[in-house]
Amino acid sequence: MYLRLLRTSVFCVSLVGGVFSFGLAHAEVSIKGKSMNPDISANFLGLWQQGTGISNTRTTTSHNGFSLQEAELQLTSDVDPYFRASVLFAISQTAGSTEFGIEPEEVFVETLSLPSFTVRAGKFKMALGKHNMLHTHAFPFIDAPLIHERLLGGEGLNEVGVSAAALVPTPWYSEFTAQVFNPSNETFYGSSSSSSLGTVFHWKNLWDLSDALTLEVGLSGSHGKTAADQSAHLWGSDITLKWRPSEGGKYHALIWTTEYLDGTHAELATTTSGDAQNRLNGIATWIQWQFAERWWLQGRYEHLGLSENFAIPSENRESLLLGYFPSEFSGLRLQYDLLSTQNKLKDDHRIALQAVFSIGAHPAHAY
Amino acid sequence: MKRNSLVLLAFFGCMSLAHARLQVVATLPDFAALTTEIGGEWVDVKSIAKGTQDPHFIEAKPSFMRVVHDADLVIANGLELEVGWLPSILRGARNPKVMEGNPGFLDLGASIQALDIPRGSVSRADGDVHASGNPHYNLDPIRMGDCAQRIADRLGQLDASHSQFYLDKAVAFRKRMIEKTKAWTARIKASGVHQVVTYHKSFTYFFNRFGITSPAMLEPKPGIPPTSTHILEVIRILRDQKVPLILVENYFDPTVTERIRQDLPSVRSKTVAIQVGGDPEIKTYDDLIEKLVQAVESASGRGRS
Ligand SMILES: [Zn+2]
Repeated sequence: MYLRLLRTSVFCVSLVGGVFSFGLAHAEVSIKGKSMNPDISANFLGLWQQGTGISNTRTTTSHNGFSLQEAELQLTSDVDPYFRASVLFAISQTAGSTEFGIEPEEVFVETLSLPSFTVRAGKFKMALGKHNMLHTHAFPFIDAPLIHERLLGGEGLNEVGVSAAALVPTPWYSEFTAQVFNPSNETFYGSSSSSSLGTVFHWKNLWDLSDALTLEVGLSGSHGKTAADQSAHLWGSDITLKWRPSEGGKYHALIWTTEYLDGTHAELATTTSGDAQNRLNGIATWIQWQFAERWWLQGRYEHLGLSENFAIPSENRESLLLGYFPSEFSGLRLQYDLLSTQNKLKDDHRIALQAVFSIGAHPAHAY
Repeated sequence: MKRNSLVLLAFFGCMSLAHARLQVVATLPDFAALTTEIGGEWVDVKSIAKGTQDPHFIEAKPSFMRVVHDADLVIANGLELEVGWLPSILRGARNPKVMEGNPGFLDLGASIQALDIPRGSVSRADGDVHASGNPHYNLDPIRMGDCAQRIADRLGQLDASHSQFYLDKAVAFRKRMIEKTKAWTARIKASGVHQVVTYHKSFTYFFNRFGITSPAMLEPKPGIPPTSTHILEVIRILRDQKVPLILVENYFDPTVTERIRQDLPSVRSKTVAIQVGGDPEIKTYDDLIEKLVQAVESASGRGRS
């Protein structure tokens, strides 16, 4: 009991220390992982951008010029032999103001000792496709794909609920995830009723085609209620080919990811158009090529509006990114985007430079 | 109390495994080779990393989670070497048997006498330092003899019916390493090579065992790739101290030594495997150390004698 109290107080002290002095947190937290303190790490994303379609007003969250895109403060620790807890605070600009707000982006506990299952409870990024589960600092490009931004908003589908993920007994890696949540997504599921439950399922499959090449195929779907308590649903699929040779693997890699997302939102249906439902879908496909130990060259193509719904004009975006990573803990990325909208005369151009830094506990990299 | 429950766990472990071969997953190929020798026909051994890969940066592929899911025992190097990938694999495997703290998880680094333990606080300004000490003890045949013992103990705990078999094999390996180390030490002494430059601090234990010192590294700081100013500094050290040999671990880019070979043609530069399987000819742990001793011998007669 005393120990638990002590641990809680240590947790709070280190948290405060972490917010106000990142340098201190680094010295305090042993990277040995031998202390009882949680692993603490912080990421920050500094951004400069200039775009024809981007606001010059500083109170708009994505504006031209310099900005602190986001800072993330993460604490993770095993609670006991049975649970692991993770807390991630995101610090970002509040819309309509130049002030910054701090929000719990993810706060959850998950099981450590259940055979074949991981059960998770709390607030977390839902398992809808691949990109939705990434934190901002791990995005392959400076921004999320258009279809994710349009359907799910800036924070993605990140809800309070419960998740169960099971390893399916197949010869290849196969994982089935089912999640229930109370919808609170700003753009898609906004039902204010606490009795309204949303669901997500995700089926992830991965094959080693050779020692160097893996193929991942995923299928996901979701259902919930909109702000007006109308039924809405999403489904998505993703396919990733990843190549990293076992000889010379420090210097070369190639990743090709394609993600498709399709949302149907009954609330926006209009009687005049004759459309029973309003639907938006899009595809994003990107290639990441590591051509030297510290260098990545990446290209992305996106198309929005595959369903021929003429109420919404289709959009295309092409992006090119050059990334330079002095170490595992720092990076600089330069990105150019060209956005063209059907029936719109002028194309939008954007150029952006982003600095990514991580300090604190060594990150465990996801594949 | 804790011991009792451990024994109990081991007991039930054996009951269920009485007729099956133990499924062992080692993080690195050297421990896989050791376990194969000790376990013989009673174990199935797989390695996560390949001999050609940098063990600091293995990707946590889901297929490894699948393999660890079915494992009875996971053997890790420890000392933070696998910190970037093993936790993800263990969590994804969803196999309580092999979680840290259970008999199915063996951290060999926890019981070895580590070298290069940083004094005071560590900072990433010094590169990717290993705060618990240098983790590359796999190149010391004597410490690997101790590891063999621990592997045998743990295999015996999980599979009591063959514990004597495992113990005998470990004792034989250890004895052989002690004998061979005497011969290897004599050969290195006879070669007259006292100083060797390497890319990363992968050879600390090997050099410590065989009486070699290392006056410089090709990487300016652990995990930071060489810069041209640093290479010039290395050239100065090589020249001033008449260092005869550079060894480049085979997962690093060997072209960095081109400039050095241009300036100092008398210095021998060799790319070497530092793990079993790092080169198709290296099939056993004995082959690995033998090859490295030969690499040192190849610089005999060069530099300062
Ligand atoms: Zn190292």
